[in-house]
Amino acid sequence: MKEVMAIIRMNKINETKRALVNSGISSMHARDCQGRGKGLVDIQLLRGAEQGYEEAISQLGNTQRLIPKRMISIVVPDSLTEETVSTIIAANRTGKSGDGKIFVMPVLDAIRVRTGEEGDEALDEA
Amino acid sequence: MLMIRAIVRPEKVDAVLENLMSEGFPAVTKMNVSGRGKQRGIKIGDITYDELPKELLMMVIPDADKDLVIGLIMAAARTGEGAYGDGKIFVSSVDEVYTVSSGIKETNAGTEEVPS
Repeated sequence: MKEVMAIIRMNKINETKRALVNSGISSMHARDCQGRGKGLVDIQLLRGAEQGYEEAISQLGNTQRLIPKRMISIVVPDSLTEETVSTIIAANRTGKSGDGKIFVMPVLDAIRVRTGEEGDEALDEA
Repeated sequence: MLMIRAIVRPEKVDAVLENLMSEGFPAVTKMNVSGRGKQRGIKIGDITYDELPKELLMMVIPDADKDLVIGLIMAAARTGEGAYGDGKIFVSSVDEVYTVSSGIKETNAGTEEVPS
């Protein structure tokens, strides 16, 4: 099984949840986080640059601000990994930088606390 | 690729982020967490504090950069010899990384474009 961890825009969380439920992936874990990427976008600087301030233009691209994001993490069987990833990408892509990243990581085992089931059986989507 | 998860003191976060930025690792995610270590928290008088506030920094890097990044975090997050509570660094493996905006898929084997 795999853990699909996605870091996405704050305002895309509802859309993402809806898209995931529609493709049959209902269980997930979400939380707030802050982050930075390659440092290409700083909203304040960008606004300043659009208005033509030279200081803002010269600072574009070397910023260190942390931007609020949502992190969602889903553990799925191997067979559903690709569908999960493509669903998240389809719901979140705007084509601008800041859309987020998706990480796919191996998970050794999963156990359902209520019944003690182990492995793929413990996952809701199996 | 590797995921580095570092739990550091809240007051050391800026130093760590600056250190990473200066060596060319801008991409980081930060989360507020609370936890305890093997000292079972801090006991002050009669009160035990076992949910100490920390910051979790998460980043995904190429395998080759592991030692450099860990060195950078260590250098910035350490307060001094023998001080408990400076934090922990965990390293785990990541199979695939997708960039949502461009659909580029990165693996250890290389990068490829995923059609949307």
